[in-house]
Amino acid sequence: MVPKIEYKKLKRTGYVPAFLLAALLAGAFPVVNMAVRKESFLSLGGEPLSVLLNANWQMMAMLNILLIVCGACMMYHTEYTDNGMQKMELLPVRQTSLFLGKFLIASIMTAVMLSIEFSVLAGCAVYWFSDSRLNPMILICHLSFSFIMLLPTIILMLLIAQAFRNMWISLGIGVILVFTFSILPQEQLFFALCPFSAPYQLLDNVHADGHVGLFLEIAALETLLFALTEFICLKIRRNFS
Amino acid sequence: MNIIETNHLTKAYGSFTAVSDLNLHIRKGAVYGFLGPNGAGKSTTMKMFLGLTKPTDGAFHIDKKRFPQNRTAILKKIGSFIESPAFYGNLTGQENLDIIRKILGLPKESTADALELTGLAPVKDRLARKYSLGMKQRLGLAGALIGRPPILILDEPTNGLDPVGIHEIRSLIRSLPEKYDCTVLVSSHLLSEIELMADDIGILNHGHLLFEGSLHDLKSQAHDAGFPVDNLEETFLAMVEEDNRRRSK
Repeated sequence: MVPKIEYKKLKRTGYVPAFLLAALLAGAFPVVNMAVRKESFLSLGGEPLSVLLNANWQMMAMLNILLIVCGACMMYHTEYTDNGMQKMELLPVRQTSLFLGKFLIASIMTAVMLSIEFSVLAGCAVYWFSDSRLNPMILICHLSFSFIMLLPTIILMLLIAQAFRNMWISLGIGVILVFTFSILPQEQLFFALCPFSAPYQLLDNVHADGHVGLFLEIAALETLLFALTEFICLKIRRNFS
Repeated sequence: MNIIETNHLTKAYGSFTAVSDLNLHIRKGAVYGFLGPNGAGKSTTMKMFLGLTKPTDGAFHIDKKRFPQNRTAILKKIGSFIESPAFYGNLTGQENLDIIRKILGLPKESTADALELTGLAPVKDRLARKYSLGMKQRLGLAGALIGRPPILILDEPTNGLDPVGIHEIRSLIRSLPEKYDCTVLVSSHLLSEIELMADDIGILNHGHLLFEGSLHDLKSQAHDAGFPVDNLEETFLAMVEEDNRRRSK
């Protein structure tokens, strides 16, 4: 029931269209790239999907993270603008459930966005790499890995957005984090495992380093840790309000 | 029988005590007027009743239930309106109430009932952010009244309403105990307003309860203390001024 209510709250906020638009924008990137520099990519060896991801994923991932930042801010801006959040606190529903409901909605929208982007990538592979046979399982593995890498970023950004009534503060923090992590050396494992940084990683590269398990475990751990932090914050806030 | 009772309830923010040693007794089925100047601690007390803030000391029970153990059970029974109307501006009046209805697990008709009670039915499909101040206030009230809860906690519910609106809401509040057997705790800083609605009164100043009882009791106590009793507004002001004077010494 809670996720349904959370979804209803987003009506007329532009949340869903923003995700769809961002997916199309990110999806347009490999299409334009292939249309303009077809020869240089076709001459590269390896799986078409890997070639396309290596060429485009950094830009696509950055767009995805930026959209997650904006999405979290939109969600809590709706809550804070007309005190809707206060009304929720007066109703017999747990604040933690509402937070997890928001997390679920943001995760579903991210999954939809990634599905559109990977569908475009698959389309590019089939269209331009004419001799290739795209393995759907490989596509699903790449998509799932990218989705899991985004989960800690989603929950951390929701945590930041709920902490500040002023949307511009959370948006500012989010944008600073996006650019800070994008300039940190990704080849260093510690930085690569951080939220806002892990979504840039590609399954192929991580697999080649033998770190797939580690990345998945750390992403799950970070997600749980941020969820736990939110629960503690909600408890503390009541004592100090 | 008291449906809400506090026992030495205290709330302090650092060195500032917002509510001090408060002992309230709110009878079941009564309209209890909670009176006090701005900053007297009325909203803080109400927030404690709703679990929005934790008491520093003392305790209270609502229908024999306590926070935080019985939070859900308490909030299911209370309709509330605190400080200012709280809603989602991107949703219509009806959509706002539907969200509350779903959380409370109420039947669909409850939304229409709350809209009718507060006179919002003709504008139910308008976005809440486009409502006038009075309409927003009514939407907040509709959110409190939805499902006709047995306890209502209303913090200055007539703020921002025009005289006709004030009269309507006053009459509505006054009629609630009789119509739906509910208990109402309503706050205001205007005695004239409380006088027209309440069965019992609690007067709060600087977090301390100066008086609790019926209007009749207030008059006789004020008379004994040498305060003016012809006009209740003057009685209230004299009590508050006397308390302030005592405090400043």
